[in-house]
Amino acid sequence: MDEDVLTTLKILIIGESGVGKSSLLLRFTDDTFDPELAATIGVDFKVKTISVDGNKAKLAIWDTAGQERFRTLTPSYYRGAQGVILVYDVTRRDTFVKLDNWLNELETYCTRNDIVNMLVGNKIDKENREVDRNEGLKFARKHSMLFIEASAKTCDGVQCAFEELVEKIIQTPGLWESENQNKGVKLSHREEGQGGGACGGYCALL
Amino acid sequence: MAADSEPESEVFEITDFTTASEWERFISKVEEVLNDWKLIGTSLGKPLEKGIFTSGTWEEKSDGISFADFKFSVTHHYLVQESSDKEGKDDLLEDLALAVSPAALRLTLSCAAAAACCYSPELRYGLREFVVIAPAANSDAVLSESKCNLLLSSVSVALGNTGCQVPLFVQIHHKWRRMYVGECQGPGIRTDFEMVHLRKVPNQYTHLSGLLDIFKSKMGCPLTPLPPVSIAIRLTYVLQDWQQYFWPQQPPDIDALVGGEVGGLEFGKLPFGACEDPISELHLATTWPHLTEGIIVDNDVYSDLDPLQAPHWSVRVRKAENPQCLLGDFVSEFFKICRRKESTDEILGRSTFEEDGREITDITHALSKLTEPAPVPIHKLSVSNMVHTAKKKIQKHRGGEESPLNNDVLNTILLFLFPDASSEKPLDVTTSADNSNPPSESEEYNLFNQFKSAPSDSLTYKLALCLCMINFYHGGLKGVAHLWQEFVLEMRFRWENNFLIPGLASGAPDLRCCLLHQKLQMLNCCIERKKARDEGKKTSPSENVTSIYPGNAGKAGDQFGSDHLKDTDKEKGEVGKSWDSWSDSEEEFFECLSDTEELKGNGPESGKKGGPKEMANLKPEGRLFQHGNLTLLQNGEPLYVPVTQEPAPMTEDLLEEQSEVLAKLGTSAEGAHLRARMQSACLLSDMESFKAANPGCFLEDFVRWYSPRDYIEEEVIDEKGNVLLKGELSARMKIPSNMWVEAWETAKPIPARRQRRLFDDTREAEKVSYFLASLDFSLRFVSCLLEQPEVIVIGAGCGHAGRIIHKLFVNAQKLTESSDEAAALVPAEEEVKRMGTPEERRQNSASDFPPPAGRELILRATVPRPAPYSKALPQRMYSVLTKDDFRLAGAFSSDTSFF
Repeated sequence: MDEDVLTTLKILIIGESGVGKSSLLLRFTDDTFDPELAATIGVDFKVKTISVDGNKAKLAIWDTAGQERFRTLTPSYYRGAQGVILVYDVTRRDTFVKLDNWLNELETYCTRNDIVNMLVGNKIDKENREVDRNEGLKFARKHSMLFIEASAKTCDGVQCAFEELVEKIIQTPGLWESENQNKGVKLSHREEGQGGGACGGYCALL
Repeated sequence: MAADSEPESEVFEITDFTTASEWERFISKVEEVLNDWKLIGTSLGKPLEKGIFTSGTWEEKSDGISFADFKFSVTHHYLVQESSDKEGKDDLLEDLALAVSPAALRLTLSCAAAAACCYSPELRYGLREFVVIAPAANSDAVLSESKCNLLLSSVSVALGNTGCQVPLFVQIHHKWRRMYVGECQGPGIRTDFEMVHLRKVPNQYTHLSGLLDIFKSKMGCPLTPLPPVSIAIRLTYVLQDWQQYFWPQQPPDIDALVGGEVGGLEFGKLPFGACEDPISELHLATTWPHLTEGIIVDNDVYSDLDPLQAPHWSVRVRKAENPQCLLGDFVSEFFKICRRKESTDEILGRSTFEEDGREITDITHALSKLTEPAPVPIHKLSVSNMVHTAKKKIQKHRGGEESPLNNDVLNTILLFLFPDASSEKPLDVTTSADNSNPPSESEEYNLFNQFKSAPSDSLTYKLALCLCMINFYHGGLKGVAHLWQEFVLEMRFRWENNFLIPGLASGAPDLRCCLLHQKLQMLNCCIERKKARDEGKKTSPSENVTSIYPGNAGKAGDQFGSDHLKDTDKEKGEVGKSWDSWSDSEEEFFECLSDTEELKGNGPESGKKGGPKEMANLKPEGRLFQHGNLTLLQNGEPLYVPVTQEPAPMTEDLLEEQSEVLAKLGTSAEGAHLRARMQSACLLSDMESFKAANPGCFLEDFVRWYSPRDYIEEEVIDEKGNVLLKGELSARMKIPSNMWVEAWETAKPIPARRQRRLFDDTREAEKVSYFLASLDFSLRFVSCLLEQPEVIVIGAGCGHAGRIIHKLFVNAQKLTESSDEAAALVPAEEEVKRMGTPEERRQNSASDFPPPAGRELILRATVPRPAPYSKALPQRMYSVLTKDDFRLAGAFSSDTSFF
């Protein structure tokens, strides 16, 4: 099965604590829902192979803890990620408001600028919605992200979200190929990303 | 003589114009050319300087003449010196000595090995000026012996007629054989230049004794015993096509090499910041410049010539055609780095070989650390040890050479880099690292300029700037190396003496910056913590509050530090007593924390089962500040945010390492559990701190601070109609024995300062220091390799570099076994095989070097020829033996007056 895998992609799931990051991941990888999923400590890691448009991609998905205190640990996992899923809870406005912080963090720690970001509004099965779909859409458009609303509980939108993300990554030239080729030469993509960044190597050279 | 010849030839031409033979006309044309070029007459040149053969400029002028319808070109080659030189006896002597210089030999070899080189005769015979008569057309050749003799006779006559003292050569045989014979006439002296060229080395002449025999028989010296023959030998070893085995992507092999004891491989790859391996060949020349017959034995069964013992080693590289970038071009390339970064990456990536020398901390270490966070063994060296070694090394290398940077420049730079050091003397600036390792330096350049930058005005930035400036203006790469060495020393000094490194943002390493910058920041973190610890120890061992880390959670920091200080001071006395009462029985629950050292003296602390009520008796410790208006659920005391341990700062390589470990745990439930457990150290530490700061607290209290969304509050209206807030843990926190609960139960009320350190600053500092130091040592001459045609290997085979080169060869031989033709005299035909076998046998018995690709010998003697009563004249024979080329070039002089 591994032989025909086109590439391995690193995906990161971030967002405030309790928005359902781990649940989304569990739904995607194991197609189960556990209402009593323990709060993640540090980071967790899952792997799933997915087929998009006939291309098989192996996803290494890093699930992070949302607690402020853990946040000092997680930036490392941003490195080399090709896709980031930013999750908020549609029933809790504060998790939506905090999205800006997360984007800042993303910008700070991501090592490449062409990384694909996806915004996921989770828990749409709940009735006490506080964040309108349009707000999410607006936010996503403003920050050039993919957007989808989902429910890990009812399975709505979950599969679709991951597939969409992977498809987008595969369509982005240079995002995953180099990663595949340069496996083991880790400096390479780091630097590429940085070079294109706000103040990468180029500045120093001028 | 010169005066006579002109009228004579005039008369000759006039009177005998029609009957003059082609030969006579040819001679006269030669004479004419010599006259035109004013090569007539005697004048002695100045003694040649050593190395002039390679450093001097050769010029030439040509003319065409013909022998019947056979066209020749006459070319005058001469070394440009201040005064024009003429050949003479003294010159010849000079040249004989000079030609032994490795540079000359080298050129000769390269001439022999490489394509056509018009300078061959001068080097083979050791001349500085000569005239060559060669067939004009490339395809033409003077083949038959009689024709050769005819030409030589012409030369002889012409020289005799004109009194020209410049040696005159005739090229014979096919051009590619570069065969020259010639003659030189001086007053009372005649020197014959003869040459033998064979494709195969005759078996009996593969070694010194055979060649000595030829030499002696050629001299035909009538004296007995013979005056001693002085000998210079140079064996050249060529390492070729190394990219074949080092360069291509073969990760498994590379891993094996990294792990294995194979050392020295990196020599070829690491130093050159080029896209492709810019070196096509490495030539090692081992030279014995002054030997006398009888000192050594070298015959077909035994050889004293162990390259490892050669007193003089030199190395040169042959660069690939147009490699995309050479270190030598580095300065100009510096600004074009963008263009070549990918390939530099590759170099860095591939260069992860390990040096197994104990003392030689090689750049590859650094590189492998940069690129492969995977296990790089950190030698158990203490920092001070390393400093010591470094200093020793420096002293060793200092030698007689001038420090590349003078102290003024250096001091200026150091002050620029470390402005805080202006009042103190930061380190012994006297140390001067002369020829250390530029290559590492340039790699470093690349690293921090191309991958990621560092904040401007940061130390890293300044360092880069300085290095760049030095590279341009103050001593080039050597200067750079010197500065680097100073820099590393300064870093160590600062670590050992708790001086923070200036010019770096405080806090954890900034992953956006280059690795070097991160490492420096890391070092600063270590220094900071060590300093805090040391100061704490000095003031009050049990109650230091210095462990408040200002950066904590980004929001702490300002208030309450002093409050809690007072608190704890007061309560100091009681603490020990009250803790004694719960004690040993709880020890089985000490699970994650096992640092007994830290606990010593404080008594065993507990609290796992010590429910809130008992804990309330504890005196609070390690409070940072009050957390809003929150109060503890049980007793209504204000909820305090504790002083916590900072999570361990990480540089990107460490992070990479860690995430690999975590990923390896897999995706199973057990893996996930294990992963969480591995990462729970920080959580546990925070819980303990929290418990210490908030005696009588519940997990609910902790969660309200730590993960507020997991505490769900609901407004409840009680029976009296009052609105009350009722809260409870979220469902997920209530899962029995989930890790949070588990950790909470395990956690004991210990303030952060008494906990086991999450971050071992000593260890990390040593790692950083090691990292820097490993960037620091070098194959120091590598830069020189690219700048100079040839570089002397200091210490020859016994020096560092020598050892590395040696390994390189040994290794190459292992790798190639028998197939590679590059380094060995490959026996293609039987005849050669016979020759090759003893050769190899001899070599193997002596060392692990492959058979030399080239052997050059110069035999010299001063003997009277042709008769015992003749003048003693210099005799010289140069011989070169390569795989498919055997040449003897003899310059034998004889007395023309007394014979």
